[in-house]
Amino acid sequence: MTCTRIASWLMLTTALGCGTSPSATDHGPPTQALEPALRRLSIAELEAEAQALLGTSTELASALPPDARQSDYSRNVGQSVDSLLLGQWFDATRAATEQLDLGQARFPTCARTAAVDDQACAQTTVASLASAAFRRTPSASEVQQLLALFNLGAEGTDFRSGIALVVRGLLGSPKLLYATTLGEGAPGPNRLSNDELGSELSLLISGQPPDEPLLLAAARGELVSGHERERQALRLLQRSESRFLYRRFIQEWLGLIGLNGLAKSSQVVSGFPALREAMLSETNQFVDDVFSHQAGSLAALLAGNYSIVPAALAGFYGIQPTTLGARVDLTSLGRIGILQQASFLATFAHESESAPVLRGKAVLTRLLCLDFPKPTDLGVEIVFPPADPEATTRERFDGHAANAACRGCHATLDGVGFAFENFDAAGRFRSSESGRAIDTTGSIELDGHEVALADSSALSRALADSEQVRQCAARQVARFAAGKTDGLVEQAFVDSLRSANAERRGTFLGLFLEFVKSDWFAWRKSQ
Amino acid sequence: MIRRTSLPISRRAALALGAGTALASLFPAPRPLRAATAPAKYFIGVYMPHGMAREFWVPKPGFDLSYAGSSLAPFDDPTSHGRSFRDQIVALEGLDLTAGIRSSTVGHDASRVILTGSGTNGQNASIDQFLAVEQGLGQATPLSSLVLGVGSANPALQWCISYAKGGTALPKIIDPLATFNHAFGQFLVDSDPTAIARAQREQRLGKSLLDYWTTDLAALRARAPVAERDKLDQHATALRELEKRVIGQSVGCVAPSTPDPTQFPIVASYQGGEPYFDVICNLQIDLMSHALACGVTHFSTLFLADLSRTHFDPELPEDIHTDVAHRYVTSGRSGSGGDPTSQARLARQNRYIYGKIARILQRLSESGLLDQTVLVAMSDMGDPAQHSSRQIPTLLAGGWGGALRGGRHIDLGAQGTPSNRLLVSVQQAFGVESDSYGQSIDPSILSGSLALT
Repeated sequence: MTCTRIASWLMLTTALGCGTSPSATDHGPPTQALEPALRRLSIAELEAEAQALLGTSTELASALPPDARQSDYSRNVGQSVDSLLLGQWFDATRAATEQLDLGQARFPTCARTAAVDDQACAQTTVASLASAAFRRTPSASEVQQLLALFNLGAEGTDFRSGIALVVRGLLGSPKLLYATTLGEGAPGPNRLSNDELGSELSLLISGQPPDEPLLLAAARGELVSGHERERQALRLLQRSESRFLYRRFIQEWLGLIGLNGLAKSSQVVSGFPALREAMLSETNQFVDDVFSHQAGSLAALLAGNYSIVPAALAGFYGIQPTTLGARVDLTSLGRIGILQQASFLATFAHESESAPVLRGKAVLTRLLCLDFPKPTDLGVEIVFPPADPEATTRERFDGHAANAACRGCHATLDGVGFAFENFDAAGRFRSSESGRAIDTTGSIELDGHEVALADSSALSRALADSEQVRQCAARQVARFAAGKTDGLVEQAFVDSLRSANAERRGTFLGLFLEFVKSDWFAWRKSQ
Repeated sequence: MIRRTSLPISRRAALALGAGTALASLFPAPRPLRAATAPAKYFIGVYMPHGMAREFWVPKPGFDLSYAGSSLAPFDDPTSHGRSFRDQIVALEGLDLTAGIRSSTVGHDASRVILTGSGTNGQNASIDQFLAVEQGLGQATPLSSLVLGVGSANPALQWCISYAKGGTALPKIIDPLATFNHAFGQFLVDSDPTAIARAQREQRLGKSLLDYWTTDLAALRARAPVAERDKLDQHATALRELEKRVIGQSVGCVAPSTPDPTQFPIVASYQGGEPYFDVICNLQIDLMSHALACGVTHFSTLFLADLSRTHFDPELPEDIHTDVAHRYVTSGRSGSGGDPTSQARLARQNRYIYGKIARILQRLSESGLLDQTVLVAMSDMGDPAQHSSRQIPTLLAGGWGGALRGGRHIDLGAQGTPSNRLLVSVQQAFGVESDSYGQSIDPSILSGSLALT
């Protein structure tokens, strides 16, 4: 294939390079494959579909109950269509179609002035809408069914009312609501149908329904080829909307999505609700920057030595407001990457005190993909260290090390979590606590070696250089793509990356591209 | 002009549902009901946060609920709740959320176990959904169930007690205005002829949309793997509910007043909604009770999310979760030791929440439903400081259609009884002939019932 340089919102100074994985072409069913599944679209994907059909930005899905997350991600096979969601979606789509504007660019020109009995224009319009809704080219019988809806809606009224009913029908259709990965239904392992390949590729890479070139490629059967999927994915990345997908991916991967539902004691910080917004804004701008300039480089995310700080957060960080969108070096303040951003630090903390256990666990489970048993699984009684105005948090939590039953896990968890102790419950820098100096030393076992840490900056630098972190990132991409945790497929994907170049293995965009061209993307187990 | 009072009861929806549509074929046959008429008719499940201070929960001899500091005092407080409900409650002690303990679904996550009797990977529905949907007991009402909450709409494991078959958490409505619209909005009819014509057209269009979606769903189900069919059955249930609404099934009662959103400008925890949680709690309870009384539904759950930072009780610290629940030091069953101050604090918070449950009983009593109601109120923890899924003090209330003899403290013992037995007793109160409920790697915990009469 030709190595493609990404343009548009992605302003990469280097190409992602050519994939060298042996799975770049279709090799038939892999030894390990995902189960066939129906996945209800996430709320963000439903919003994207509504925009694609209505031709205008909407907040249709904001009225819906929040996504259920599985394996941390809102894109998952556990989502369902329950009575509350369907009822609210029904109401929201009815209200939105009452305002339907056929002058929007997404509609054929004929629709602007079509008479109520203009069947030709109705057919063109309906077919175009159905392509966006079904994420494939509709069959002739499907178009006829929709034309029946059009005629019912237009009866006694006008062309617009007929199309409005079609849009309602499509927005509530199971064909829109579920992304299927069932394959062709043949006995044995199944490759996704051409239509499913196109739909999945577009949703996974851009969070949007497929565009016209992708639909054509799918219809021609070209997406059977891993190289062609990769080529299309690189093209789809140019859609500016795709950055929202990667923002969401990072937030869900690191658990930052929970920040909006957190409180902080007024004794720690005042005005926390407004600060939360600024904290998430910092992370979003930073993630946009790392993805657009460095393809979502893990090293840059963890230890890029800069951030983009909104004015509302400048005072909290103790810096002067900077030019909108400008990079600022915060290394002297102990903040070198996303783990030292207030969004992460505040999320993984208690309401009135820092939480070395939560912070350590977040790093070890989310960045290293390690598992830890719950204390109750081990028959360990949880004892929260009592408040002590004379002691630091670290001194209070040192009880874990003294208790043999707790030591097994907490020697590992706390060794990482203590490195963040120079940040309080809200993520504000501190050098002392309870009148005593903060001790940020810790340790982590990384890539088979024990690494001594002076503080969390040292931790981030070590993580940024770790093969274990790169492998966990690959697992996270596979998990997000699969919509569930499948350890065997994740391991197989990780193993396949050994032959990929460093730029692919060390960047999230590279990992997404590797996955879409792989056989794990294209094949499913037998039903 | 909105007409609040009532439309005659219509059976059109029920008839339409039995008309051989594709939807009907999607549903599995329910388990057999006992030959005798099921006496219990209404179910309410309530989740209470923060565990329980046993020291102030156990009634004194003579089923005295009114001793100093008693958290159950609201049930014997005619001044606040119109009458005493002392004889309509059972204080049930000694239940463990065993299915959760067996599957590592413990601590805050154990709320999932309360009504399902199964842990994280359980595929069965919670008892409210099992009765309403799988057993079809909610089929004749406009809504098969009403799933409500206060404070958090988060559908994560530790924030839900209602689960659909297949194991998916059901979303909660936490905004009283949304509750009103969901439960009663469909019955409010504008008397303007133009509006009536518009409604009739909407009904015609809506039926066509439902036909279109139902056909597509049946086609999708036909090629779906077996493991994915529960998901589509849930979707079919949702379509059926929507069909009732579109067709215009009506109920005979006076609709409640529309909640005034200026009384609760924020509804979410930690977004600033805490000061309004008291009024939100009351509205959710009143709307839920009204929905039952109107026959809008017979099944409801209420998830009272972490009620911290509400500042309702000046005697309690700001952060109830950390500074009350986490700091609780129990005396255990021995009754000795522990920290009396921490126990009294947690009991105050428990008492506040039991006051809300007493309000439910008051409303049900006023509408004459109490004797036919099964109410179960439970926390996910016994001792909250230990995040323990054992020894969960449980409140049972209502008449259970004769299946519950109230005015008693039942102690099942310190060894711990699987909470599945309570769920078996609940389903039997509704006439479901089955001796087990829930899922577990240890099937022995699923069977058996409790002696409650």
